[in-house]
Amino acid sequence: MGLKEDLLKLKEEAKKLIEEAKDKNSLDKIKVKFLGKKGEIKQVLKSLGKLSPEERKDIGKVANRIKEEIEGLLKDKLAYIKRIELERELRENRIDITLPSHWIETGHQHLITKTLQEVVDIFISMGFSVAEGPEIEREDYNFDMLNIPKDHPARDMQDTFFINKDGYVLRTHTSPVQIRTMLTEKPPIAIVAPGRVYRKDMDPTHTPMFHQIEGLLVDRNITYRDLKGTLQKFLQEVFGKDTRIRLRPSYFPFTEPSFEVDISCSMCDGEGCRVCKGAGWLEILGSGMVDPNVFEAVGINPEEYSGFAFGLGVERIVMLKYRIPDIRLFYYGDMRFIKQF
Amino acid sequence: MKVPYSWIKEFVDIDKSAEEVVEKLNETGLEATVETFGEYIPNIITVKVLSVKKHPEKDRLYICEATDGNKTYQIITGADNVKKDSIVLLAQIGADIKGITIKERKFGSYTSEGMFLSLEELGLADNADGVWLLPPDTPVGVDGSKLLGLGEEKLIEIDITPNRGDALNVKGLAREIGAIFNIKRKEKKTDIKILNRLIPNISLETDKCYRYRGIVINNVEIKPSSLEVQLKLIKSGQKPINNVVDITNYILLQEGQPLHAFDLDKIEGKITVRNAKDGEKFLALDGNEYSLKSDDIVIADENGVIALGGIIGGETTKVDENTKNILLEAANFDYISIRKTSKRLAITTESSYRFERGIDVESLPEAENKAVEMILDLAGNNSEVMGEKDIYLYPYQPKEIKVRERTVKRIIGIDIPKEEIADILNRLEIPTETIEDGTVSKIPAFRSLDLTREIDLVEEVGRLKGFNEIEESFPSIPINTDKNISYYKFENRTRDFFIDNGINEVITYSFVGERIYKSLNLPLPDIEITNHLTTDFRFMRDNLAVSLIQVQKENLRHQIKDIAVFEIGEVFFNDFEEIRIGILLRGDFIKGFNFKKNKIFFTTKEKWSFLEVKGLIESYLKLLGITDFELKHSEKTYLNQYESAEIFVRGFNVGYFGKIHPEVAEKVEIHKDTYIGELKLKYVSRKLKENALKDGYLYTYFKLKDTPTFKDLPKYPSVKRDLAFEVDDTVSVEEIFKELGNSSKLIEKISLFDIYYLDENRKSIAVSVDFRDREKSLSDEEINREVESIVKKLKEKIKGLKLRG
Repeated sequence: MGLKEDLLKLKEEAKKLIEEAKDKNSLDKIKVKFLGKKGEIKQVLKSLGKLSPEERKDIGKVANRIKEEIEGLLKDKLAYIKRIELERELRENRIDITLPSHWIETGHQHLITKTLQEVVDIFISMGFSVAEGPEIEREDYNFDMLNIPKDHPARDMQDTFFINKDGYVLRTHTSPVQIRTMLTEKPPIAIVAPGRVYRKDMDPTHTPMFHQIEGLLVDRNITYRDLKGTLQKFLQEVFGKDTRIRLRPSYFPFTEPSFEVDISCSMCDGEGCRVCKGAGWLEILGSGMVDPNVFEAVGINPEEYSGFAFGLGVERIVMLKYRIPDIRLFYYGDMRFIKQF
Repeated sequence: MKVPYSWIKEFVDIDKSAEEVVEKLNETGLEATVETFGEYIPNIITVKVLSVKKHPEKDRLYICEATDGNKTYQIITGADNVKKDSIVLLAQIGADIKGITIKERKFGSYTSEGMFLSLEELGLADNADGVWLLPPDTPVGVDGSKLLGLGEEKLIEIDITPNRGDALNVKGLAREIGAIFNIKRKEKKTDIKILNRLIPNISLETDKCYRYRGIVINNVEIKPSSLEVQLKLIKSGQKPINNVVDITNYILLQEGQPLHAFDLDKIEGKITVRNAKDGEKFLALDGNEYSLKSDDIVIADENGVIALGGIIGGETTKVDENTKNILLEAANFDYISIRKTSKRLAITTESSYRFERGIDVESLPEAENKAVEMILDLAGNNSEVMGEKDIYLYPYQPKEIKVRERTVKRIIGIDIPKEEIADILNRLEIPTETIEDGTVSKIPAFRSLDLTREIDLVEEVGRLKGFNEIEESFPSIPINTDKNISYYKFENRTRDFFIDNGINEVITYSFVGERIYKSLNLPLPDIEITNHLTTDFRFMRDNLAVSLIQVQKENLRHQIKDIAVFEIGEVFFNDFEEIRIGILLRGDFIKGFNFKKNKIFFTTKEKWSFLEVKGLIESYLKLLGITDFELKHSEKTYLNQYESAEIFVRGFNVGYFGKIHPEVAEKVEIHKDTYIGELKLKYVSRKLKENALKDGYLYTYFKLKDTPTFKDLPKYPSVKRDLAFEVDDTVSVEEIFKELGNSSKLIEKISLFDIYYLDENRKSIAVSVDFRDREKSLSDEEINREVESIVKKLKEKIKGLKLRG
């Protein structure tokens, strides 16, 4: 008697050793010690010959079960040790996640083009297309065809840069794009024309180059009410849903009637503050119904078609929106400024 | 123009506050603001000077006695214009004058009990000569601040648009306010007696003067104006001079009719209104001598020019304290001539400003008569109007303009019945009647320049109806086609690409100066601004590099040494423009931390160099679908030719990039490892119908690129082989790649492995080649055979090539 007990004893011994094992190496040794060719279980089974066939069968079964049990314990323990080792390795390579990052720092878009895109995109969503024209413009497109004849005081409103090329000037507004569009396309016309314009002026609120966006809608039955509706929708998109607008009759040679468009001051909501100089309103753009003289100049019948046009200064909108005190900051390319936005 | 509201109220009975009136003026189209005249100053009183004597101890000081009717004051003053009987403003003890409290003050052994005031000390003028002498009709012993209306009187300032010359005077403003509030304007007609004793000898010899009326008044006494006239002028921002001159200014403000008074006795013989002779000289009232041209209109006597018509009077015939007899001129000159002359000689006067914007030819006599009436009242107990001459060859014929109800509806968008249209226009003093389909108006002279067409009257109707009250609608806009949006989108995509790659957008002036071009050894641009602001803004740039270098310099001033910027903008040539993107890159673009055992340290990961810049441009071009570009060494004067390249697509130059030339870098004081590049995005035509999709511009290639179609995914594996070629140093990597690519259909991909120099003239170029047959798997043997054939072909194409290994 005693073989069975010996085997069970071996199992208990193995179990204990496996529990105590700390690494794969010890587990290998335990494996060899108990399950190897010359292992302890084999040793026990050597004395099997002395037993009867029934006993042999019985003991053999017990031995196999114990062998499997030990194998199972070894496998589980090995998996456990591997996990622990991996964990240790990962922890060793841990990173201080608060370290400063490194990657290409995304560039900054200029506020002017950013705002320009915002405005143009609003009009695109309304169905307008984008039109372009050169910055060195024919004098007649810039003035005469827009109903600004020579020697008219209206030419004083825009101090023009002249160049060494007869009949051309630096465009003083984006309005000549209206002329170019109407000369090449038939109504209905719905365009916005963003771009640089030039006037001889330089102080904290004027630079000799700045940006405008021109808009033009020509079709049958376009009225003042459409102008008001379109501008209201646009200005509410830019300055917020609660923005109120005011159209003040004014004068531009290429529109009749003409309007200065004001928005309720976003700083004080019309109460009057420093930004709006107490007026409660901010002048934001010029607009009007296309003057019949302009239609005639481009060969569109003013009895059949009507339309509205508007022009806004991008810098002014940016300065209001981002509270920028000096327009010249836009053009130095100073990274301390550019990277603020 | 700034005038007291009370003056306007003399012409229209209105009970609204100045603030309400101003708000309505703005809403209906006249830009107006309101302000209060000065500030109430306590302890100012009018006094009459009783005696003036020199201070016995102090030079240049006077001791005056003055009375307010009850009390006598001893005042020490430095002003030498104070005389016995002068009426002046006295700041009493305790008055606050420009932040200083008046106290008793000793000058030698005499005490001053206050201070006589000048216009400057009252804050009413920027400078003043001496104490302000009030006219003899001023009451003595009254509160000076109250008398002047300080802190009380409202002033209305109007900034007109060029079409509203009619509103540049008190009467015109009253007319506008009357129309807005529907109150009839009032006006007192003049009644003067004109004798026929001395008809001025005036002849009109130019077609640039539409009316000329001269009136002779004799025995005029030149003296200060009445208090009322002086105050109105001061409140309107003008300086009182003497009664006659003040009255002409007064009428100009009130009626909008410029007037000029000549000293009749200084005029020699016959007066002619004519064009100037070229080179004719004229000494003006402003003290300057002007050289005239034949376009200028002048008033001349037998000795020469005595006034520049509508602009400024002459020194030789000016009214002074000794003047006895005057010729008063009221005229109407051609606004274009006035404008040209005024611009050329750079003289802008109240008179020229109004002429340029058009004045009322019809009310000229009445306006002048008002002046005559005032002169008779204020300047002459013995004066008589000796005679007049009014030359008015082509009297004003009012134009008739119809307004159709239909047009009002078509433009404004609401129905306004003809009766209402007529009512509005009549309120504006435009005589209007209704007809079958609308109204017909006779345009009065005071609006003759502005109101010439139906649309102009539609605007008048709308603005008085109140544009703001009219409800908005939303137009139905035809669906846009993509054709015009696509460049806009292309530019946005371009901008996004560079921003996403860490480059900052800048916008710089299109103007450039000669200096930077010289530094870069570049010829000056085609386009020169003839009236440039400064020499740095003299030309329109023909490249973006010059602008970006200036941005770099600006940032260097602020110790910003690493820079990555781009600009999308136009460059200008004689016959066309193009939109380019320019980039300037220098220094580190990725910084960060490296890890080593037991050590974490900050380091530069990437620095801009030729290959980084090339990579940036290459990936941008790939984004546009352009992979077939070629590089050639650049010969740009400002680049280091060994590290710069011109970029060609299908044989056309689309741009360049490279390292700045070290000499240029030194000259302009920027870093020598600065990289600059420019890419041409789009051709901009100045002609109307020129195809803008020209070769040599990236937008063109982007726009015209083929849509790629699907190819079957490879079924068989590729096989990699490394090959090393020994070649002469003159052979470029690109050549090897190109010839390799052409040498076998089985080559799918070639990548550079390494290059090393065997000696000064020979180098080894090692590449890794992927072979693939789309029909079958390649065997080693097949590849060996292919390589053999490739090497054979390469040896034929590239002299001195050997396969290594």
